[in-house]
Amino acid sequence: MALLDLFLVVGIIAGVYSLLAIGMNMHWGDTGLLNFAHAAFFAVGAYTSAILTTPTPEAGLLAERTVGFDLPVVVGIVAGTVLAAVLGFVIATTSVRLEGDYLAMVTLSSAELVRLVIHNEAWLTTGAQTLKNIPRPMESTVATLPVSYDVFYFLLVWALVGATYLLFERMSNGPFGRVLHAIRENDDVALALGKDVTQFKLKSFAIGAGVAGLAGTLWAHYVYAISPVMFLPSITFLIWAAVIIGGAGSYAGAIVGAVVIVFLRQVTRFIPGSVPFSDQMSYLRLMLVGVVLVAVLYYRPEGLLGNAERLQAGTSEGE
Amino acid sequence: MVLDPQFIWNGIVVGSIISVSALGLTLIFGILNFINIAYGDYMATGAYLAFALNAQIGLPLGVAIVAGVAGMAAGAVLIDKLVFEHFRTSSPVTLLIVSIGVAFFIRNLIRAIWGPTGNFYDVPIEANPNLFGVRYSVEQLSIIVASLLLLTAVYVLLRRTRIGIAMRAASDDRTLTRIRGVDTERLVLYVWIAGGAIAGLGGIMLGLDAQIRPNMGFTALIPIFAATILGGIGDPKGAVAGGFAIGILQEVSVVVVPSEYKFAVALAALIVGLLLRPDGLFGEATR
Amino acid sequence: MTLLSVDGIRKTFGGIVAVEDVSFDVDRNEIVGVIGPNGAGKSTTFRLLTGFHTPDAGTVEFDGEDVTDHSPDARARSGMIRTFQIAQELTGMPVMQNMLLAAQGHPGERAVTSALGIGGTSAFEADQRDRAEELLKLLELWELRDEYAGNLSGGQRKLLELGRSLMADPDLLLLDEPMAGVNPDLTDRLLERILELRDQRDMTFLFVEHDIDAVMRVADTVVGMHNGAVLSMGSPEEVQSDDRMLEAYLGGEV
Repeated sequence: MALLDLFLVVGIIAGVYSLLAIGMNMHWGDTGLLNFAHAAFFAVGAYTSAILTTPTPEAGLLAERTVGFDLPVVVGIVAGTVLAAVLGFVIATTSVRLEGDYLAMVTLSSAELVRLVIHNEAWLTTGAQTLKNIPRPMESTVATLPVSYDVFYFLLVWALVGATYLLFERMSNGPFGRVLHAIRENDDVALALGKDVTQFKLKSFAIGAGVAGLAGTLWAHYVYAISPVMFLPSITFLIWAAVIIGGAGSYAGAIVGAVVIVFLRQVTRFIPGSVPFSDQMSYLRLMLVGVVLVAVLYYRPEGLLGNAERLQAGTSEGE
Repeated sequence: MVLDPQFIWNGIVVGSIISVSALGLTLIFGILNFINIAYGDYMATGAYLAFALNAQIGLPLGVAIVAGVAGMAAGAVLIDKLVFEHFRTSSPVTLLIVSIGVAFFIRNLIRAIWGPTGNFYDVPIEANPNLFGVRYSVEQLSIIVASLLLLTAVYVLLRRTRIGIAMRAASDDRTLTRIRGVDTERLVLYVWIAGGAIAGLGGIMLGLDAQIRPNMGFTALIPIFAATILGGIGDPKGAVAGGFAIGILQEVSVVVVPSEYKFAVALAALIVGLLLRPDGLFGEATR
Repeated sequence: MTLLSVDGIRKTFGGIVAVEDVSFDVDRNEIVGVIGPNGAGKSTTFRLLTGFHTPDAGTVEFDGEDVTDHSPDARARSGMIRTFQIAQELTGMPVMQNMLLAAQGHPGERAVTSALGIGGTSAFEADQRDRAEELLKLLELWELRDEYAGNLSGGQRKLLELGRSLMADPDLLLLDEPMAGVNPDLTDRLLERILELRDQRDMTFLFVEHDIDAVMRVADTVVGMHNGAVLSMGSPEEVQSDDRMLEAYLGGEV
């Protein structure tokens, strides 16, 4: 594969991960919520869009799925985003009042429940098998252009990353983000100043989940085929690593962190020829992610683009 | 409707595994005050160590189990020295995220060494005997016996030994313990030894009951979390009770819910439990 | 005219009575001080008034409305703003952001208006900045407006907390031991401000305080508590000369 093609593939994955990290940064970076359900929002976005945009499979095929809508891709993308946001809202409703540790465990468990449903409800999702033939947006139109589809998709994904980044930056720096930051610092103060803390947490959860859903739709329409093993909790943990490495609280950091993580995972693709331990390479790369995450937390707890001064000031106790 | 005793038996087996595992997690939480996401991978490590000694080197299973448990206890201390020790003053959330990094490392190290596919211990395959209409296997019996032995041992440790009593005190109130001059670093060492050993045993039990896989511990975390929370995080007695409750509930639930969803029962128990009793089964309702 | 009316509130924790049958009224434009030795139930009373606890019995009425079951944030929105005993400024947020946070009814606190800057967000924000500037100058914190609150000194934090409460433009300001850990010079300044605000902004104050001298200097009415109950109530002089109060304090100190 030519180097440019490889760059485009990795770039598209990095864009999808960036969206996931932006959503997570709203939860953790802005609001201080321990969300461990990100993989579920990603999955719901992907499956919603896939189911809505593929036709009903013909009976008698291997796939047991009996539902399909054959709608335009854009409908799938919007619906996937919205449904992921709704799921975020629902999960948060049961758990957002809980203390941090409990919230982490409940969200992680909820995400596994979602995956369990996807895995078992084959009539809707093809179950453990692969849901195939997901259409790519504007594929026939792009085919008439002198550029490859990956160029188009790369630009599409990164345009969406850019737009999302701008919107989230504005939210975070505006009065809405101010309330979220106050909640991150101290729930009681926000309450005492008349902020409906639960309501803000629910909104934060839903908005961040929605972006993760958007990432899921983009993923599904790029890879043609999805299956439940793509949405294991390790996705959630990778995104956590991205946000922490990039610097919690910074949206630019979230994007940088996501790019770093994707690069770490994909870097050996760029090394031509055979390398020793090539079988183990993908595992070694994930071990490296672990090492980098711990090293960043130790040497640079604010992350690459985080705000060290805020972190310092934020830890000083009242007298 | 008569409940098939087979389900209860299965529940006790699963409950034993969850109880033991939850006990280790909750002990670590009690002293170190953070949720160790890598705990499931500690379990897998114990299982793989025993697997290497038993199926790969050919030692008898009993010896391999003891060595696997001891190995994981040492491993937990090693990981503490390499990683967690440098984060003693960090917030629980930072530690939780650090443990994510540790989990990534361990799980993929296991995959790199032993490969991603499932393995089995070298145990003789026999027809499962049948008692009063309940089919049971030797492995299942061993799991229950081992868990009872371990639970008794930990009970004695926490009730009768100085270090155990100090652990319980520290779990209740860390600053108070420090004021009283208890050497907290020593406590931390002991809790990693105990927690690591228990995790290793839990993982081996899990491997005996099903398969040895790199993500076996991680997948088992959800019911373990459920048991821990149900019992109140940091409460050993609660974790054990929660473990059996979740295990039995999960297995018996197949009577009413499709068996693919029996795991959802743990989650439902978790959420309902949290909403009703935020401080656990035996916790004092202070809210 | 009564602004806050507390009627027979009671709170127990695990069988131990913390507050028993406490009743008193706060009139508009009045300064009421709640005093008492340690363990008198002042803090619990404060939490019951501000909604951080719910009473087992009794009612709290604010501005003619029963707010007994209202959440802390709902009470704040209806015009009762509290401060914290230990200054709980948001340490990881700059001074100015702390101030702006307290603005009530900010149209930009909706996600959409915030992201798109619509719905009068910027105009409102500009107004609030002007108000914050005025208050910060008054409190001599203007130079520190971009500093993280966590980098402020203890006294500055107290002032910031007061300033932030005032940004919310409360009808009733509830102060939880505002003088605790504050040097006498700052105490004087804080008391001066309170008197000024009462006169200029037509505000009402209730404060729970351990420092009796401070209360005696500014309060119109003093509520003396002991063992979870109201022991003595009246003008500062009346309460001060009440032998039971003296006994309670002496007993409490031993």
